[in-house]
Amino acid sequence: MKTIEWQYLIVSYLFLGGLSAGLYFVSALTELFRKDDDSAQEHIARLGALLASWPVMLGCTLLVFDLGHWYRAYKLFLHFRWESPMSIGSWLLMLFIGISLIYAYGWTSRDGREHFFGRLPRRLRFLGILNVDVAPWRRPLAIAGLPVSVGVAIYTGVLLGAVQSRPFWNTNLVAQLFLFSALSSGCALLILVLAMRSRKFEMYQFRSLYLLDVCFLTLEFFIVVPYFIHGELSVEAVRESLKLVLGGPFTMVFWVFLMGLGLVLPWAIEVREVVPLFLTHVQLLPRMGVATPSPAGASVSVVSELSALAPPANKLHFSRGWAVAAALLVLVGGVLVRYIFVFAGQMSAIR
Amino acid sequence: MNRRGFLKMATGGAVGAALLQTEACRVPLQQQKAAKDVVPRLEIPTTCDMCVNKCSMIAIVEKGVLKKLNPNPENPKSKGMLCARGNAGIQQLYDTARIKHPMIRTGERGEGKWKVVGWDEALDFAAQKLSAIKEKYGPQGTLWSSSASFQEVFFRNLSQAFGSPNSVRHPTLCLASVNLAYSVTFGTVPSFDVQNARYIIMSGANRLESFITPDTMDLIDSTTERKARLIYLDPRFTKTAAKADEWYPIKPGTDLAFILAMLNVIISENRYNKEFVSTYCSGFEQLAEHVKQYTPDWAAEETQIPAKDIFRIAREFSDAAPRAIYYAGRRSSWSRDDFSMRRGQAILNAIVGNWDRQGGMVPNAKVELGELMFLPWDDPVAPRVDELDKNFPLAAKGDGVYLKLRENVLAGQPYPVKAWMIYKQDPMSAIPEQEKTLQMLRQMDFVGVIDIQMSDTAWYADVILPESTYLERLDPVEMLGGIRPVVLYRQPVVKPLHDTKPAFEIVQGLAKRLNLSQYFDYTMEQWIAEQVKPLPMDLPLDYMKKHGVYSPPQYPKYGSTLSPDHRFVTKSGKIELLSERLREAGYDPLPVYHQPSQVPEGKFRLVLGRHAFFTHASTSNNPWLNSFSPENALWIHPKPADSLGITDASLVEVASGVGSVRLKARVTPKIRTDCVFMQHGYGKRSPWLRLANSGGSDAQLIETAWDTVSGGAALHETFVKVRKV
Amino acid sequence: MAMRTKRYALAIDAKKCIDCKACVVACRAENGVPLGKSRNWINEELRGDWPKLMEVFEPEQCHHCEAPACVRVCPTGASYQRADGVVAVNPSECVGCRYCMIACPYDARFFREDLGVVEKCDLCAHRLDRGELPACVETCPSKVRIFGDLNDPTSEIHQILEKRQYRLKKREAGTGPQIYYLL
Ligand SMILES: Nc1nc2c(c(=O)[nH]1)N[C@H]1C(S)=C(S)[C@@H](COP(=O)(O)OP(=O)(O)OC[C@H]3O[C@@H](n4cnc5c(=O)[nH]c(N)nc54)[C@H](O)[C@@H]3O)O[C@H]1N2
Ligand SMILES: Nc1nc2c(c(=O)[nH]1)N[C@H]1C(S)=C(S)[C@@H](COP(=O)(O)OP(=O)(O)OC[C@H]3O[C@@H](n4cnc5c(=O)[nH]c(N)nc54)[C@H](O)[C@@H]3O)O[C@H]1N2
Ligand code: SF4
Ligand code: SF4
Ligand code: SF4
Ligand code: SF4
Ligand code: SF4
Ligand SMILES: [Mo]
Repeated sequence: MKTIEWQYLIVSYLFLGGLSAGLYFVSALTELFRKDDDSAQEHIARLGALLASWPVMLGCTLLVFDLGHWYRAYKLFLHFRWESPMSIGSWLLMLFIGISLIYAYGWTSRDGREHFFGRLPRRLRFLGILNVDVAPWRRPLAIAGLPVSVGVAIYTGVLLGAVQSRPFWNTNLVAQLFLFSALSSGCALLILVLAMRSRKFEMYQFRSLYLLDVCFLTLEFFIVVPYFIHGELSVEAVRESLKLVLGGPFTMVFWVFLMGLGLVLPWAIEVREVVPLFLTHVQLLPRMGVATPSPAGASVSVVSELSALAPPANKLHFSRGWAVAAALLVLVGGVLVRYIFVFAGQMSAIR
Repeated sequence: MNRRGFLKMATGGAVGAALLQTEACRVPLQQQKAAKDVVPRLEIPTTCDMCVNKCSMIAIVEKGVLKKLNPNPENPKSKGMLCARGNAGIQQLYDTARIKHPMIRTGERGEGKWKVVGWDEALDFAAQKLSAIKEKYGPQGTLWSSSASFQEVFFRNLSQAFGSPNSVRHPTLCLASVNLAYSVTFGTVPSFDVQNARYIIMSGANRLESFITPDTMDLIDSTTERKARLIYLDPRFTKTAAKADEWYPIKPGTDLAFILAMLNVIISENRYNKEFVSTYCSGFEQLAEHVKQYTPDWAAEETQIPAKDIFRIAREFSDAAPRAIYYAGRRSSWSRDDFSMRRGQAILNAIVGNWDRQGGMVPNAKVELGELMFLPWDDPVAPRVDELDKNFPLAAKGDGVYLKLRENVLAGQPYPVKAWMIYKQDPMSAIPEQEKTLQMLRQMDFVGVIDIQMSDTAWYADVILPESTYLERLDPVEMLGGIRPVVLYRQPVVKPLHDTKPAFEIVQGLAKRLNLSQYFDYTMEQWIAEQVKPLPMDLPLDYMKKHGVYSPPQYPKYGSTLSPDHRFVTKSGKIELLSERLREAGYDPLPVYHQPSQVPEGKFRLVLGRHAFFTHASTSNNPWLNSFSPENALWIHPKPADSLGITDASLVEVASGVGSVRLKARVTPKIRTDCVFMQHGYGKRSPWLRLANSGGSDAQLIETAWDTVSGGAALHETFVKVRKV
Repeated sequence: MAMRTKRYALAIDAKKCIDCKACVVACRAENGVPLGKSRNWINEELRGDWPKLMEVFEPEQCHHCEAPACVRVCPTGASYQRADGVVAVNPSECVGCRYCMIACPYDARFFREDLGVVEKCDLCAHRLDRGELPACVETCPSKVRIFGDLNDPTSEIHQILEKRQYRLKKREAGTGPQIYYLL
């Protein structure tokens, strides 16, 4: 009985789960590597931390309502079945939500907490013991949470990839694709929020996010390519299933909307924003005493010609408009990846 | 070992197979009584009535609720199977659309306004109407129609005790021509030993969809296990065609040409069984002379089956004889010449000498049943309204000829018929040209229907007397003859759910009010007790209750009629290749071929047939069965569909000379380009048959035509126009 | 996995199937399968051109796999395999996530909206436990399905699989299907 069992709720859940993982990952990474006095970086880390728990909790709610019995969801936690990606995933999600909540708590301000606990009704005053400052644990939490967030991001792909009977899914590339798409979504959401709200910072101060996102998108691109090469070289069933996107119902969404608008276009925008930055760095290299790769000197002249094009670092202009556009496109792409894979996967079958 | 017991033995379960069989009804109950927490589970053997086949089954009943119907392998005809319809019997019992109380019409006929009444009021009303009509028009002013059922005998007895000559049954819509053809030839209608045959030819006998037990199971076995070669002729690619070794999409109405050409080859090549023919048959010389004109080349033109194939099939057939059969077929209401076609088959079978031989035709064995003696009534004085003697001298008197009867009733000739009692039949759906049936209903002063659901006919009745279903009633014992004869028992498996009665009690209630009680002065139990008396066991009734079926072990037996001094029940006492009875009655004594009317340009021939999951027009409202085909569709070949702009599932209008219906098209290469087909039983008028209310009704399209000898309806003589809407 | 003492399986002689749907209705009746859903079904395929047509019917249901994907992915253990090889669902443990449906290569499972659980053929386990044949096996006019214990050398299925060649569907899915389609 061929039916599409997992529909939009699952698509949303997979996206939201990945988004949270991405937010956490970026926040934790930033926290671990930022310079103490870099307030823009701190801003990124805080924002990521405060946002990370919510999408996944919303996603889990959607997931629970997608179950035949929402009130039976607790049964998922009466068992641990290591063979079942869903069982592992359920536990992983709980762990992640727990860590991410504590981590977020670590980013709350003292004043805010005082304010909150001070206004609790008398009967709930005992909750005051929770008014602790976990800020010192931020780094340990970031370290502990990093692999968990990567796990959550990968898991959303493994959930599908582990299904051997759906040839469209059955390659480890799906898990990788979902991972990088999740991380990129996290980046993009941060860029989006920062672009819209953080007036006291200049966008170029968030260039690390662009760099990360360009990396993630590039990796995504280089997973899609082998995904097809691999698939076309694979067994009949897989080749057959790829037809869903190569001349099938999903061809348009896949190539135009996902690959075009969701991947290549935002990548191009972001690259356009960060390339000058690179060039500035290149220009700086010789001055910092780094040996130019001469002896011919030809390359030096190319480099310097190129760097002539780059504006000085402090003049770098990152457009908020482009940032918003790129981030939105990435997020839409993230949804589309899930949508296409969830639907096309279920439609694919071994014949 | 039987299949039901297979696991019992294999797993060494507590209850052995034999025990399960013999104690079926009782052991589980006793067992369960010991363990209180288990729901008592009764296994009650009984007989299916979802179609004519009477398969044996075991009803599983828990707390008075029917849970499941399982096949009973003890019946050698149904052989441990229950078809889709048999399995769906539960839905007939628990159908919410059943008629739950007696009802009297309050609005206009067909308006659907009913008054729920008690049985006394309903029976009083019916009896009073019948008496009034008898008063005015004589007892012949009443018509009694019914289809086969174990309780039909009481209904028919009532019609006779009432004094009406006018009873009409289903055979002239069904198998009248085949029955008559074999009777005039052999003096009896034999069975076909499909199980042991090595070569089988079937003309449109769609055995793998239109179930006849045991032939259906035997055919599956002999064809799929490659024991027999099956040659199948049908304008449609049916499921039988799918299993056949060769399928020929014969031009409808030309089967006789094929048969006559086979006779021609077999006789001219001296391939017939000379010894058998000279010992047992009469009229061979005339036959040989007669078929000379019918060459394979000529037949190829008529049938569109290549001459070389006709030659080959004729030779293979005679080579395989006596284990070769030209299967008779069941519904033989096809064409105006249907009788001649069946006669041709009978003759072909006779000359290869497959009579009473393993793998050939076998005269039916019987089991003697007892009969309860009741007061006899006088024979009706008036002649039948369908004037059988004049129109169809050879037709079965008790069955009547339905279409001629309708003509006469509508014309008021030779006398008026103003009351119609209908039992277990749906003439509105079963008879061609529905509009005329409706007129016939409308011209009645009184219509009484005994049914279980609101059939299209019941919808136009004045009073509805709801019968209990076959799962709620005790029926008379039934004997079913054949190569392996059986005696069948049907007992109630649950108490009646609604205010319904078995036909017997309805008949008794009417008889009492018509002052005919003296003829029905017995109980069902007494009737059955007499019936089972001759059975060869100590406590025959107990046996039947426990087993539901009895099959004497000495069968099959072959050759009991194969001695030169055996007299066949024909004029000459021989197998009549040339029929004296036909000659005397003024018909051709040998089958003469008449070319069927040709399909006019731009039209199609409408052909009929069945699906394995519907019975006639009576199960399409059953949700379990209906789900396989929630509406009917018009089969049409891609070629004509293309030129008419019809694509699969597009809505089409089908129009004949007498009506038009709309339904969806099913474009399929499984039908000839000059034919269309639609499933029977849809497009109902009765709003109570909610599910069957979609699609189109074939009864509205088919034109009135009949076979001139048997009076059997000719249901495939209608040409229709198809148009995309 | 420990050596099974019993291994129930089906052999299907598809060429005997006449597409009569008795098995489908029998299963509906036996197992209360709601309308619109089915634990067993008949695949049909029409081939060739008029008048050289060919049509094949092939009954299918859960394959009671040796390494059932449905059991592997089930997060709660609601899907399980019995010692005799029967793969079944315990409805009271099922959360209705439908992961098993997606994982089954044969699309043998369906979701019951009315109960919020997933269901499928369980070889009529309750009938087996009473020593009876599965309902579809018993009722079939053609006796298309041969049911039995593969580990019992005297069983019909064991013997027929020794004599006749068979095909397993979608072996590459790796679940070890146990419906043997006789050739
Ligand atoms: N167009 C067309 N017409 C046909 C045929 C065809 O294929 N196409 N086939 C012809 C053939 S072969 C035949 S035999 C006839 C059959 O024609 P019918 O004998 O009319 O057969 P059914 O359509 O089965 O209708 C039987 C009626 O009996 C009712 N019934 C069922 N069970 C019971 C019961 O237990 N008690 C009572 N009292 N009623 C019950 C049903 O509800 C239904 O209304 O039709 C013939 N007419
Ligand atoms: N499932 C199911 N089984 C049944 C019944 C049922 O209602 N449902 N009814 C029972 C009854 S009462 C009867 S009478 C039998 C009927 O069983 P059958 O005698 O097999 O009759 P039909 O099913 O009407 O099949 C008639 C076939 O003849 C083909 N045909 C039409 N015209 C011609 C022609 O000129 N030449 C040839 N060679 N073929 C032609 C049609 O395409 C169709 O496939 O079935 C019995 N069994
Ligand atoms: S053939 Fe089917 S419907 Fe007819 S009696 Fe047998 S089981 Fe019942
Ligand atoms: S009951 Fe048997 S013959 Fe009928 S459809 Fe099912 S498997 Fe095929
Ligand atoms: S066929 Fe599907 S449902 Fe059945 S055991 Fe195999 S994987 Fe599970
Ligand atoms: S739907 Fe039920 S049986 Fe299937 S995987 Fe989820 S919990 Fe297990
Ligand atoms: S074995 Fe039982 S549950 Fe499975 S398909 Fe057959 S009847 Fe249904
Ligand atoms: Mo019939």
